[in-house]
Amino acid sequence: MSTRLPPLRGVPQRRTVLAALAAALVLAFAGFSAWRYADAATRDDLDFARERDRVLAAGQEHIGTLNSIDGADPDAGLARWQDATTGQLHEDLRRSRAASADAFERAGITARATVTEAAVTELDTRAGTAKALATLRVETSGGAEGTRTDRKRYEAGLERTADGWKIASLTAITVEGSGT
Amino acid sequence: MSRDSTAGTAVTAREQDPAERAEQREPEEPGQKGDPAAGPPEPGTTGESAEAAEPSESGGAERTRRGTASRRLRVAGVALLAALLLAGTGLLVQAARLNGDDALANRALTDASATAAVSGDVSNALSKVFSYAPEDPGVTARDADELLAGRAREQYRRLFGQIQQRVVAQELTLTTHVVRAGVVRLDGDDATLLVLLDQVTERRGEDPASVGAQLSVTAEKQDGQWRITDLKSR
Repeated sequence: MSTRLPPLRGVPQRRTVLAALAAALVLAFAGFSAWRYADAATRDDLDFARERDRVLAAGQEHIGTLNSIDGADPDAGLARWQDATTGQLHEDLRRSRAASADAFERAGITARATVTEAAVTELDTRAGTAKALATLRVETSGGAEGTRTDRKRYEAGLERTADGWKIASLTAITVEGSGT
Repeated sequence: MSRDSTAGTAVTAREQDPAERAEQREPEEPGQKGDPAAGPPEPGTTGESAEAAEPSESGGAERTRRGTASRRLRVAGVALLAALLLAGTGLLVQAARLNGDDALANRALTDASATAAVSGDVSNALSKVFSYAPEDPGVTARDADELLAGRAREQYRRLFGQIQQRVVAQELTLTTHVVRAGVVRLDGDDATLLVLLDQVTERRGEDPASVGAQLSVTAEKQDGQWRITDLKSR
């Protein structure tokens, strides 16, 4: 006991300094990392960039859907069309659904679309509106013309809904002066 | 001697106490305050020798209890610092993950002016190199040398070689308009675009004919100018 006691007295001072130093370093590190994290987490451009990617993904998927139909079960395809759209377009598709189903049934056409490239051209995250371009390759079969492949190009207007981004308008970009 | 010894232990206890408490409670403060606090009582030789001489039973027990208590505090302090270290590291990793997000690497639309610049440069380049006039097809060739690079230059030369003969022989005029252009990806000096074109062909004495063309364009910024490096029909 007598040999252990004296160092006990001197040690706390050195330990205190070291502990204080370590604590200060750790606190500084914690503060720095908290600041770095807050800085990264509150970046506006990250939210914007992610929203742009969501628009692109939704646009690709929905534009592809709207160019596909299964001749054997057109009603299921038309239901998917409705799911892919919003606003007036959605309303129009709902109203014409029965007639369209009949028409597709009679024609027996099956169309399978592949989006070959797409790009978001406009995005307003506050208004929840966007525009996107897409090029497609559509394989059609079962029609009077037999199997054929078409290239198509579209501009789509998208709107944000509770269920993600949906197509509000879809316009084929026709070639000027060609009359098609 | 015995009075001295008790006084000595009391002093030791008193001077150890604040220093240790301070160390445990606010580890960062004693760095400045701890030293002087421990300083003033400066244990005399009497205290030390007295302690060494005969520590009383109760004093020993007290010290042991205090020792255990302070050890606990010390462990708690170390645990707290370790937790802070871990949390800090976690936050840094998280911050790096957010900053390295692929969505952020793509500056298309996020950087509006850069997006407009690449879109404009590429649209200009395409309408220049895909427009030929029978009067001077050489202009187009020179434009192509300036605006195309890498694979696109080779692709274009092959294409242009065929067309040049027809242009001259049939007095063909080809005009290309960019109808729409969208930036798919913009990452520093590399970009990918989707460009929708209308190409109008005119033969002397005939009505012009239009066809649509869709291109995926890869572009690279060299010396402040965007050059097309790859073309892919869509």
